[in-house]
Amino acid sequence: MRWAAAGAGGVVLLCWPLLVPPYFVFLTSLIVVNAIVAIGLNLLSGYTNQLSFGHAGFFAVGAYVAAVLTLRAPALPVVATLALAGLATALVGLALGIPCLRLEGLYLAMATLAFGFVVVEAILNLDWLTRGNDGLAVPAARLGPLALGSDAAKYYLVLGVGALMVAAAVNIARTRTGRALLAIRESEIAAQASGVHLAAYKTLAFAVSAFYTGVAGGLFAFVVGFISPDAFDVFLSVDFVAMIIVGGLGSIPGSIVGAAVITLLYDWLAAFQNYRPLLFGLILIGCMLFMPGGIASRMAKWTHQAQ
Amino acid sequence: MTTTALVHVVVSGLATGSIYALMAISLVIIYNATRTLNFAQGEMLMISTFVGWSAHEALRLPLPLVLLIAVAAAAALGWLVERLVIRHAIAATHLDVLIITLGLSLVLRAAAGLVWTHDEFPFPSFFRERPIGLGPLRVAPVSLGIIGGSLALMLALAALFRWTRLGRAMRAVAQNQRAARLMGISVERVYSASWVLAAVVGAIAGVLIAPVIFLSSKMGLVAINGFTAAVLGGFGSMPGAVVGGMLLGVLENLAPLWLPAGIKHSVPFLLMIAILVIRPSGVLGRVRQRKV
Repeated sequence: MRWAAAGAGGVVLLCWPLLVPPYFVFLTSLIVVNAIVAIGLNLLSGYTNQLSFGHAGFFAVGAYVAAVLTLRAPALPVVATLALAGLATALVGLALGIPCLRLEGLYLAMATLAFGFVVVEAILNLDWLTRGNDGLAVPAARLGPLALGSDAAKYYLVLGVGALMVAAAVNIARTRTGRALLAIRESEIAAQASGVHLAAYKTLAFAVSAFYTGVAGGLFAFVVGFISPDAFDVFLSVDFVAMIIVGGLGSIPGSIVGAAVITLLYDWLAAFQNYRPLLFGLILIGCMLFMPGGIASRMAKWTHQAQ
Repeated sequence: MTTTALVHVVVSGLATGSIYALMAISLVIIYNATRTLNFAQGEMLMISTFVGWSAHEALRLPLPLVLLIAVAAAAALGWLVERLVIRHAIAATHLDVLIITLGLSLVLRAAAGLVWTHDEFPFPSFFRERPIGLGPLRVAPVSLGIIGGSLALMLALAALFRWTRLGRAMRAVAQNQRAARLMGISVERVYSASWVLAAVVGAIAGVLIAPVIFLSSKMGLVAINGFTAAVLGGFGSMPGAVVGGMLLGVLENLAPLWLPAGIKHSVPFLLMIAILVIRPSGVLGRVRQRKV
């Protein structure tokens, strides 16, 4: 029954570009991109309880690395570009994560927030590479002789990478590493007493989270086709946090649902720009007061009651 | 660089620094009571300054009255926020409350945008812009006014914490909530008072700084520098907040003289990351030992 449902869902996802207009294909690509970020952020915040308000910074690093690589080395296949974008961002994540080991709670939140601002300023200042405020037009991704220019081609690229990332995250969550991360969330002291190497696992979480976000940033650059620094401001970081809060901290399906909810809301409210932060703020407050586990825990409760 | 020019830079640095110090103090007041960071502090400042400005525009009130109205609006807002939202999350973890205040900051900023638009407005000042000569030095009265006003407010706060019943209660709650409750202090009342007091300090800072940075829905971002200032001085310490604020203001103004111009806006953030990494307890703070 579950396998049948999953199979049907997979078929629908594969046929999606044939079923709906191109704009919805584009929107679905964005949802998948955001879901990858949300999973990455959840591995850090939901699993090890290290809240980050700087993931827009990682996202920007990934997007710019992918864009600059595509412009300077057009022959590189897109898979390599994305992997390099992810690795470069993971390095940045390590550089931020190691000093941040000493910080927790509020301090970590503020340090990551500051990191997000610094990344935007750095992009503005490196204008010989990034063209500053003018932004970069990103050429179509290339896979050998294929140029992935159409919305459908980009969608399949995003979907393929997204499926890989989700599968990897599910497996990380089930292994020794995942359990160690969860133990850190429940109690750092207890985890340490049980032999979990705190520093190593927290740093690992930072690097993996940054890798996910960097790959998603690269995909974002290809899907949208144009990037500029103002797309990566602090409010994007807040949107990412909203995704995992709404979806559910520490839940991979929750990350995907949260990403879909926030992305769709964002799109529907495009005509009401001024009301959007109002609604997002109310959603954040409401989730925290009335639904602390997000949609994921609510769904788990329902299925539990149904049985 | 001449000495007079240097003095000018330092004085205007101290002026912005006083504002950072006031923001840091208001963040620390709330932190000491509820152990959370109020992300909406800057937005509360912005709303109360806007309310004062509206009264000024509609009724042509004199500035002292405008200040009073802003302070009253801030007190009401602080009380409402604590009573209606924060109090209900008292059992939640600090990070949950942090996210609630984050949501609050989004809501307040969007609401301000709907009421007053996202434009920038000039705000009337108590002080003139034209520099006056003090011997060979030239300083702007507005800078001196901001420094003087902030110092007066800080002294008043110090007196409040030292000599009043409420101040003692707030210090007791900051030290140990359970012990304070056992001594008959109403911790809930201290929560309320802390949010009101922090909002009032923010409103005064807002009225002082609005003539310089203009009144806009974005002006709440000044609270981030307030946090940096508080971290710089040692989060939780009031004297630390003052020292950190002044230090940050001066450094921010001096840094562009030696560093590339583009880096000016990053200075507070780089400084924050540096201080968190090198000495998380800040310049004046003590390292807090954690009990198991």
